[in-house]
Amino acid sequence: MQPAEAVPNLYHPNLMRIAGFADETPDVRTLKLQFADAGEARAFTGWRPGQFGQFTVFGAGESVFALANKPWHPNGGAEPPTIECTFRAIGKVTNALRALSTGQTVGFRGPYGNHFPLDDWRGKHLVYIGGGIGMAALRSAMLETLDRKAEFGEVLILNGARTVADMVYKEEMPSWQAVQGVRVVRCVDPGGEGEGWDGEVGLLPNVFEKLALDPADRIVVACGPPVMLHYLFLSLGKLGYRPEQVVTTLENKMKCGIGHCGRCYVGPFSVCRDGPVVTWAELNELPKDY
Amino acid sequence: MDRTAWVLNETELRAWLQDLIAGERTVVAPVAEDGVVVYRPLAAAGQAVLEPRGKARWSPKEFLFPRTEALYSYSFKGDAVAITDPPRPERPQVLFGVRSCDAAGLARLDEIFLSGRTDPLYAARREATTVVTAGCAAADPECFCTAVGGSPVGEEAADLQLVPLDGGWLLRVLSGKGEALVGEAAAGWSAPPAESGERVAALEREVAAQIGRNPVPQEWAKVLEGGFASPSWDRLAAHCLGCSICAYVCPSCSCFDMNHEANAWCGEQCRSWDACTFVPFTLHASGHNPRATRGGRYRQRVLHKFAFTAEGEAHFRCVGCGRCVALCPAGLDISQIVTAAAAAIQEEGADAAR
Ligand SMILES: Cc1cc2nc3c(=O)[nH]c(=O)nc-3n(C[C@H](O)[C@H](O)[C@H](O)COP(=O)(O)OP(=O)(O)OC[C@H]3O[C@@H](n4cnc5c(N)ncnc54)[C@H](O)[C@@H]3O)c2cc1C
Ligand code: SF4
Ligand code: SF4
Repeated sequence: MQPAEAVPNLYHPNLMRIAGFADETPDVRTLKLQFADAGEARAFTGWRPGQFGQFTVFGAGESVFALANKPWHPNGGAEPPTIECTFRAIGKVTNALRALSTGQTVGFRGPYGNHFPLDDWRGKHLVYIGGGIGMAALRSAMLETLDRKAEFGEVLILNGARTVADMVYKEEMPSWQAVQGVRVVRCVDPGGEGEGWDGEVGLLPNVFEKLALDPADRIVVACGPPVMLHYLFLSLGKLGYRPEQVVTTLENKMKCGIGHCGRCYVGPFSVCRDGPVVTWAELNELPKDY
Repeated sequence: MDRTAWVLNETELRAWLQDLIAGERTVVAPVAEDGVVVYRPLAAAGQAVLEPRGKARWSPKEFLFPRTEALYSYSFKGDAVAITDPPRPERPQVLFGVRSCDAAGLARLDEIFLSGRTDPLYAARREATTVVTAGCAAADPECFCTAVGGSPVGEEAADLQLVPLDGGWLLRVLSGKGEALVGEAAAGWSAPPAESGERVAALEREVAAQIGRNPVPQEWAKVLEGGFASPSWDRLAAHCLGCSICAYVCPSCSCFDMNHEANAWCGEQCRSWDACTFVPFTLHASGHNPRATRGGRYRQRVLHKFAFTAEGEAHFRCVGCGRCVALCPAGLDISQIVTAAAAAIQEEGADAAR
């Protein structure tokens, strides 16, 4: 008997091999993934910074993570795509993912969602503000910015964490700082500094205020927990930033990633379909449901 | 002779139904099971409950959007993972004797699953489905289709429509699929009476007059959306238990969860019905929950039905079947709540302006 014809499947993940990993903090890990199938690698069309994917742990489930490395674009096979994600082990899927090791297989589907409009920011000064794991959502745009630094003005990267131990991307921050015209500021919450800490101490919005940057021709891209964003927006308003100059990403819980499961709505706005990247101005038009 | 409408008596209707069952299609119709009317695939035409009024306990949506289904299955042994996609939905199906409200509910599902990135599983089932509606000659106490822009003889999503008339049924063809389903069967059927169009219109007015609930004007969509922050939601939803019966019985609710059901060797990515009235629906792994209160969750249910319409959609997502009104264990009545919320929001607005 002929096997029944299969339906083309939106939810069918690509199989990916864990090519390597780095532990950022005791509970945050960055994974490097490569397509298990050469044909699927060739068919992959890459992503734009700010997009996200659904990552599958077979036996446990799927989780949404930002695509965290510099966007990969098809290059005729010169360099096969590598996808990185930085995740916090916090629940069922993420703990199961953390238990996997190099060489093991996970699933990936995506990219989904809109992206940071980097091209529109040419000629402007850029500020990237990440609180904790929020840095993961910014990293792709940030690395692309560093790569194309000549197109932008001053770049400030503000990496904030609760404690020194919780700070992500510690290893690679020096390489960001090494790019001409880039300044990296590290900060931890009061009480989170340890022996020998030479970064800033204070809540992220306060540290940002103290930097006293001129809002003119500047775009602020911020991602972090809802409380941090709340206070950051208050600071930005006080400093004279217009809501159009401020960009963030929404992280509502989601399942399908393609606008069907109904979980990530903020009013009529579906985060996976219409977001996750939004300006503060757009956010002001939406109900407070995030 | 008009080739797109006939009148059938009970015997002719059942004989046609029997022919359909004998064909290559699965015919799904309301049947009585332990005293409860539910949609089931028919084995014989005699099982079908075809009455001029009344509705099944559940809507027929599960025949397009199953309560739970595998989106793919997989086996994993060591590092070898093998994924199997689900088979293409089996046979063409007929949804027979579907009330107009439930058919409108299918149109609401279409808007979700066939928009943006079309869901191929849903689309394949939808494509293989022919919908035969059965209009109503009387409203049940909970019904309010006409209050939300529907009609007891509405044509939305119907390929063929039956309308109760003089103890028999008027059958009208409304689409190519409907025409194909009738096929040769019409040979022995009688032409409809000349004034059947007026008779249907009169029936519509008669049933509408039985519906006592307040009409919900389209303009309220904006009023309700503007009242997102209104304190009235907490008050109106105070008795909601979060059981989500309302969403499960609703013909237009389409939210779902996705979870892996697996053992140490194999598993399935399962999709199953879910509801915004459940606490964990929007609960982040971090513990943050944007809809942490009952009022916030019930508000989402109301606003997603009555506000938050996509660009160009000029209808509500509630089709007025009244199931959630009849079956809510806490007695919440969505039509009354919409009216009360709109009134409270307008009142608050007036207070603020004073
Ligand atoms: C657009 C977007 C980008 C994200 N990017 C990152 C990232 O780069 N790094 C990172 O560590 N986390 C990120 N998250 C959050 C991450 O998806 C959740 O922390 C993760 O899914 C938790 O899964 P779990 O099974 O371990 O937790 P559990 O609490 O056990 O979750 C159970 C289920 O709920 C879902 N879920 C729980 N919390 C969330 C949430 N906040 N968002 C979406 N689904 C959730 C998961 O699908 C999971 O299957 C992102 C979320 C979104 C929406
Ligand atoms: S409104 Fe009624 S049926 Fe719906 S969740 Fe609340 S108690 Fe349950
Ligand atoms: S919200 Fe209630 S009345 Fe409206 S369609 Fe759904 S179940 Fe029927």
